[in-house]
Amino acid sequence: MSAESDMEYSDNDGDEYDYYGEVDDCDMDTVDQSKTDPEYFLFSCLRVEEVEKLLNESIELLSNSLQITPSLAKVILHAYEWNAQEIINKYKENANEVLIFSRVKSCVPSAPGNSNGSHCAVCADTNLLQKFSALACGHYFCNDCWAMHFEVQIMQGVSNTIQCMAPECEVRAPEDFVLSHVTKPSVRDRYQQFMFKDHVKSHPQLRFCPGPNCQWLFRAWVREGARRVECQGCELLTCFSCGAPHHAPTDCITIRLWLTKCADDSETANYISANTKDCPKCQICIEKNGGCNHMQCGSCRHDFCWVCLGDWKCHGSEYYECSRYKEDPNLASDSQHAQAREALKKYLHYYERWENHARSLKLEEQTLACLKSRINQKVMAGEGTWIDWQYLWDSAKLLKRCRYTLQYTYPFAYYMDNGPRKELFEYQQAQLEAEIENLSWKVERAETTDRGDLENQMDIAEKRRTTLLKDFLDININNASSSKV
Amino acid sequence: MANIAAKRVKREIKEVVKGGEGSLKLEVVSNSWTDLLGEITGPPDTPYEGGIFKLEIKIPETYPFTPPKVRFITKIWHPNVSSVTGAICLDILKDQWAAALTLRTVMLSIQALLAAAEPNDPQDAVVAKQYIENQQMFTLTARHWTNIYAEGPSGVWEFNQKVQLLLEMGVDEHKARVALSTYNWDVEDATEQLFS
Repeated sequence: MSAESDMEYSDNDGDEYDYYGEVDDCDMDTVDQSKTDPEYFLFSCLRVEEVEKLLNESIELLSNSLQITPSLAKVILHAYEWNAQEIINKYKENANEVLIFSRVKSCVPSAPGNSNGSHCAVCADTNLLQKFSALACGHYFCNDCWAMHFEVQIMQGVSNTIQCMAPECEVRAPEDFVLSHVTKPSVRDRYQQFMFKDHVKSHPQLRFCPGPNCQWLFRAWVREGARRVECQGCELLTCFSCGAPHHAPTDCITIRLWLTKCADDSETANYISANTKDCPKCQICIEKNGGCNHMQCGSCRHDFCWVCLGDWKCHGSEYYECSRYKEDPNLASDSQHAQAREALKKYLHYYERWENHARSLKLEEQTLACLKSRINQKVMAGEGTWIDWQYLWDSAKLLKRCRYTLQYTYPFAYYMDNGPRKELFEYQQAQLEAEIENLSWKVERAETTDRGDLENQMDIAEKRRTTLLKDFLDININNASSSKV
Repeated sequence: MANIAAKRVKREIKEVVKGGEGSLKLEVVSNSWTDLLGEITGPPDTPYEGGIFKLEIKIPETYPFTPPKVRFITKIWHPNVSSVTGAICLDILKDQWAAALTLRTVMLSIQALLAAAEPNDPQDAVVAKQYIENQQMFTLTARHWTNIYAEGPSGVWEFNQKVQLLLEMGVDEHKARVALSTYNWDVEDATEQLFS
């Protein structure tokens, strides 16, 4: 919690663009990071074994202080989201309540036992040789049936929440009970795997890295707002709070809305945006056939920008106006049809830019790879050393980070209400956009002599990015307001 | 596992016969314990009274550790049963299944569902909407369906006439009935939907 409260921001001369940097220099920069990086978030990247150790510590603590078996402790911890202290306090007050809440015990008095084992209600067998057992609820069934019940449940992916076989009985089977009945090694393994996954999911401080086949886990202490975590293994940037790709300045709820919307509408959106646009002057339908956004209408020779459909002549002079969405003021005759079209137009405006930056990010990923070989060539040719070229490498990484933030400003703007705040946001967004394009241009063409110029540009772009995040990332806004109180 | 399933099914058929409830019937189809045919009667004091409803019951390999798959073969107008597929929304057929439950208890639960619908957890949204907004219309419609599909007592005579009317316009009988039921037996609305 302390990481959050001592986050203060100052405008200092930012040559801290390396803070994303390598894992090793993490500690060194910690103090600076929390001050200069508006997205700074304290977390750790853990391996499966480390998490197992962490969980086992909680389990041990609870089983020692309450004098219960570790497997019972697991059931209770799972139910109480691993808050051992809360459990211990509540247990002292009313042990019975804790056991009922965790479904270790039944809330109704235990069933009259047929513990003598004459008849199993599941397999309908009356075999005197068969052994019977029951959970705390006292519902006795034969051991063969228990084994089969567990096997079926485990194969369906259930682990911590396997229940008794009696109707309407919600008592859960603890680990030792399950394992004493299941003998197949493959099923036992599966059970342990699912248990671990289930434990992590129920633990508010833990989250799996969602990267494909990634074995790392994150641990952090705050689980709300856009929280950036970067995986040590696969380098994926995700949000600790919601598990989606990292999305500052957009918040978790909004990004979910946006991503669902994109998934639903993007087919239509792709078709419309990819195939047709009307010439803003003569309205003739135009299909884009090249990469350049400077378009000239084949019919009326009008020059315009493909992205914003504005006149090319007044484009690009002041700040990059193209990123701002303007609502059509002549929309007085708002028939339903026109409104729907306007809504689609608005969505497409933001979607196109969102997609465009996503694509640029992918392309710049390739640039990064090319850059490495380019630097190698230069070094081999005796033009400076690796250290001399380090700045170029840093700038490409910074570019990636800036563009990433820029991409996620579009869903934010889409859901923002009109007003001065949105105007300010879009102004800052336009500024960021312009600086990023400048930087991108410079990175692609950098020679050693440009170093000063490029570093200057890096500084400007990063400043724009942090300013925008400081002003609009809601974890900062909340902090600012709470620190005033 | 199949061994237990077969044994259980045999015993459960006996249980239904012995249980003495005249309202339930259970038998195997084509000598296979995996496919059963159930029959329940509509509970008294409900629009389903006097009707006989057939159920398709499929027993999975892992029975009784997984629930049987049950659906209505007889078409029925009920918020928790799909008027199209006969699929049933009932907790004990899903996550609340317990291995110690039996086919007899399942059939009794379905019967209880007919007497007490759960419109807030609907399987058929159209029916549920009518149930909530116009209960009288729902009752009359459900009784009409019971009469037509489940051999129940005759319902509103006017409804039959309306179906006949659409039939003469060349609409399939069941489709006509669904459309009319959906639009509270307003012939105009139903026609519009059918021909749009």
